[in-house]
Amino acid sequence: MQYKLTRIDPNTPEQTRYPLGRERGVEDPMDKHVHRNVFTGKLADIMNSAVNWGRKNSIWPYNFGLSCCYVEMTTAFTAPHDIARFGSEVLRASPRQADLMVISGTCFIKMAPIIQQLYDQMLEPKWVISMGSCSNSGGMYDIYSVVQGVDKFLPVDVYIPGCPPRPEAFLQGLQLLQDSIQQERRPLSWVVGDQGVYQAEMPSQRERHRDDRIAVKELRTPDQV
Amino acid sequence: MTTDTALSNTSRAAGEHDPVVDELRSRFGAEAFTLQPTLTGMPVVWVAREQLLEVLQFLRSLARPYVMLYDLHGIDERLRVHREEQPPADFTVFYQLMSFDRNSDLMLKVALHEADLRLPTITGIFPNANWYEREVFDMFGIDFAGHPHLTRVLMPPTWNGHPLRKDYPARATEFDPYTLTMEGQDKEQEALRFDPESWGMQRHSEETDFMFLNLGPNHPSAHGVFRVVLQLDGEEVVDCVPDIGYHHRGAEKMAERQSWHSYIPYTDRIDYTGGVMNNFPYVMAVEKLAGITVTPRAQMIRVMMAEMFRINSHLLFLGTYLQDLGAMTPVFYTFSDRQKAYNVIEAVTGFRMHPAWFRIGGVAHDLPQGWDRLVREFIDWMNPRLDEYERAMMDNSLVRERTVDVAAFSTQNAFDWGVTGPNLRATGYQYDLRKARPYSGYEQFDFDVPVGTNGDAFDRGMMRLEEMRQSVRIIKQCLENMPGGDYKADHPLTTPPPREKMLKHIETLITHFLQVSWGPVLKPNESFQMIEATKGLNSYYLTSDGNTMSYRTRIRTPSYPHLQHIPSVMNGGFVPDLIAHLGSIDFVMADVDR
Repeated sequence: MQYKLTRIDPNTPEQTRYPLGRERGVEDPMDKHVHRNVFTGKLADIMNSAVNWGRKNSIWPYNFGLSCCYVEMTTAFTAPHDIARFGSEVLRASPRQADLMVISGTCFIKMAPIIQQLYDQMLEPKWVISMGSCSNSGGMYDIYSVVQGVDKFLPVDVYIPGCPPRPEAFLQGLQLLQDSIQQERRPLSWVVGDQGVYQAEMPSQRERHRDDRIAVKELRTPDQV
Repeated sequence: MTTDTALSNTSRAAGEHDPVVDELRSRFGAEAFTLQPTLTGMPVVWVAREQLLEVLQFLRSLARPYVMLYDLHGIDERLRVHREEQPPADFTVFYQLMSFDRNSDLMLKVALHEADLRLPTITGIFPNANWYEREVFDMFGIDFAGHPHLTRVLMPPTWNGHPLRKDYPARATEFDPYTLTMEGQDKEQEALRFDPESWGMQRHSEETDFMFLNLGPNHPSAHGVFRVVLQLDGEEVVDCVPDIGYHHRGAEKMAERQSWHSYIPYTDRIDYTGGVMNNFPYVMAVEKLAGITVTPRAQMIRVMMAEMFRINSHLLFLGTYLQDLGAMTPVFYTFSDRQKAYNVIEAVTGFRMHPAWFRIGGVAHDLPQGWDRLVREFIDWMNPRLDEYERAMMDNSLVRERTVDVAAFSTQNAFDWGVTGPNLRATGYQYDLRKARPYSGYEQFDFDVPVGTNGDAFDRGMMRLEEMRQSVRIIKQCLENMPGGDYKADHPLTTPPPREKMLKHIETLITHFLQVSWGPVLKPNESFQMIEATKGLNSYYLTSDGNTMSYRTRIRTPSYPHLQHIPSVMNGGFVPDLIAHLGSIDFVMADVDR
């Protein structure tokens, strides 16, 4: 599998644009270890899988919302949709305790520096889901006060389309994030191993579902409930 | 009911023949005013800048006074072609006043010239003019002499330019792409730092050093990106400064580049928990401009769906209000009910939060087969649930401890600050626009208007609970009396035109094509429609210059004055009471910043 390696230089100059860190595509770092020594390679592999499994099933989201999408996001947290099935019901009011920031709503120019600060306050490992058209690309708000996509300054892991996306779409986005976390290669701790973040290049959903979507021939009529 | 209807008919017919015009003329002389004929349903009177304060004072002290400054904003007139019967102006500032005794409105307009964009502040007469004047300064660069704190309110303090001016670009893509650097972030954050001295606040008193607490713009109980800075003496709020503008989506500027039809989805996102309730005043104002009369079936479908959204919004309120008070469970109950409401809404409109389902001249499609079964199921489900909520939540002694006599304010205080809707009724003043000035056939329905007694956080909660019962009643009457007929008016400007007609001959096919591509062209005029929205009085004031797009769209939202009102209620209270108050206001930030 192909990976995207992000490394942040602690001596980054002040004028650097967000997102910080250099990214480049690399091969799976595990493969190198495997070829070097069968035993350590396997051990690290097992350790990585175990840690990733734990991480992906206990993603604590940050209680952070911007606009309409936040209502649908909280709907996913309540009884009818029950996000606890995916281990993410532990909403944290402090960024320092959270793993996941969902940019649920429009990213405003006045709000952007604050979002960046909140993101910086989250501890690694951390992930970002961009929920809804506004935070994906500015959506229908191509207007002076709106940043045209939160990825102008934050690294985004999963984009959820919709205006706003349904709670089910948010849950699907969360599961896609879980899948990618399972494939990730991150340091097992602050001191053990390579300190870079290797993110798997996950397959595009658009291409994956393209044939199924084209195959749909019968659409339900809106004249009946 | 009959008296209310009679009242509304006189107020609507009034317009230019309103008795207040004679009162003004007999006091200031006939030549002091220019009357502008409009479709707004209220007298629109041009006043000279020098006389503005005097006229406002006079209106405020009339026998049946204009007690509330309902709205204040500006218009950039420089590119407007059709300005017949109006004095020359580069910029206009309008003041809309409301009289509850007369049940009518009055709009004053002041003409300004580009070289001299100055006005006296009216904060001495109407305290809620404060934020409105700041917004006009922010959006148009008009100076208000004597204003206590004339700074930007919506845009960041570091912003350049005045976005609602016609020469200011609208699109983000017309500017350089947004970038954020580490030093840029530090600069912006520094600009947002609160400076007590600039607000005339002391850092110490004789006994104590005050603490300044910054609550928001991201705080779990601030309901969105709202910031309020508290000056604290221990746990007591000495003074507080609400700060908004973190959710400004430029909806009013957006209206100047969307066709009359394609702007409908943007209205959904103003009060984003209100769904089609937001389409309501907009399409009705457009229909006034176009001269469309909507069919009874379309009217009743609109009422039914708007009331569905009122219930939906109030359920969200109830859950979050009690959560702010520390109750974890209610939000799970109310969101289950919201899901039930969405079952109906989705089946009818095909969407959940923002259906954009009303159309100019009717609604998007007819009710689907089987809608009545779904609605009946919902009604049967809701009634016992609401009784249960009242028992389990509002009778709860802890909830009462936290809310009774907390953040209470009087009717007069509500008028002074422009507070409307359930928050006004909680003070014991019965004013519901659905009764006072019925629109879209509300006069046919049998429902009560709940009123409170104390105007405290508890009453504001009870208002919503009781309003949901009344909304269920209205929906039940819709279910039982849904008229037959068309769901769209048969009018050349109905957009999109009825599809059956389009398929018959080439003329209507061309009209259909032009309306969905360029959009309908509306005659130059001004129109206005106010409704009782989920959170209070919401209105659209549309100016057409004979184009496919609006020349100026002013959206007056209820939450904006409700937030400006906070210091007058909270000063002297405690921090936990502020949280209870924030929960009880029922605001969403898009409804504040637009």
